[in-house]
Amino acid sequence: MKLRRRTRRMTPEPMLGLINVSFFLLVFFMLIGRMDASSPFALMPPAATSGTDMPAGGATLSIAADGRLALEGTEIEPAALALAVVPRLAENPALLIRINADRDAPLHLVLPLIAQLEGLGAQNVVLVVAEAQ
Amino acid sequence: MTAAPGVQLRRRPRARAVISLVPMIDVLILLLIFFMVTSTYLNLDFIPAIRADDPEAAAASETPAETLPADVAISARTLLVRLQADGTAVIAGQRLTPEALQSAVAARLQEQPDLPVMILPSGAANTQDLVTLMDRLAAAGAPSVRIVRVEATEVATP
Repeated sequence: MKLRRRTRRMTPEPMLGLINVSFFLLVFFMLIGRMDASSPFALMPPAATSGTDMPAGGATLSIAADGRLALEGTEIEPAALALAVVPRLAENPALLIRINADRDAPLHLVLPLIAQLEGLGAQNVVLVVAEAQ
Repeated sequence: MTAAPGVQLRRRPRARAVISLVPMIDVLILLLIFFMVTSTYLNLDFIPAIRADDPEAAAASETPAETLPADVAISARTLLVRLQADGTAVIAGQRLTPEALQSAVAARLQEQPDLPVMILPSGAANTQDLVTLMDRLAAAGAPSVRIVRVEATEVATP
């Protein structure tokens, strides 16, 4: 007489773990993608070795190499900058303003803007840099 | 046809419809790959430009560029570094390579550790040049680096 082991029924792989991880990764990459798209034009911040960790919050002012400006992802005319920033500074005088300037932007476009922001009452202005490899 | 009295017919319960997860997983993975491919990764840092807790900064920023001496030092206790339009640094009229600049500043800092450094940039220099210069000064150990702002009209004569 031959004894045959009863074949085991195959249990289905649990899908829930895979779905959870996939959703987590999806949300992560969506958020990262949103941060990258925070300026309407392409720009590459200058590389630096002496920068410190980026603080959270605040407003981002992007400056393209040709001088175009964008505040919080919306392109604005240089003349309209004061009108856009003053109400926000009135609300919060300690508002952090991040200058996200392209590495090829000439300083005659960048430094006067920083001076203008200071003249408008900005107390915390930082220059965004990319960590040098 | 009618059932015989006393006999109850029971409808067989329908099998529950199973919602397939496979299309959802497909879409999910597709979106995931899309965002992975379209995202760019930059480790962003910052360099302070204006600080509320820095009383000296306000005083320095009020100094108009045209009142500064054209060359070397603002005062005996300040080192002035000019940034040319091509990105080279000049101290006391001498053009310096990045390495020479770092060692020159480090040597001055050995004599006077609290030596403040001021950068007078050309308006035609780009942001990367300024940041690179600030990097070099930080690497040399400069405790305080300030930028003398240029006026937009000065760009024509870098």
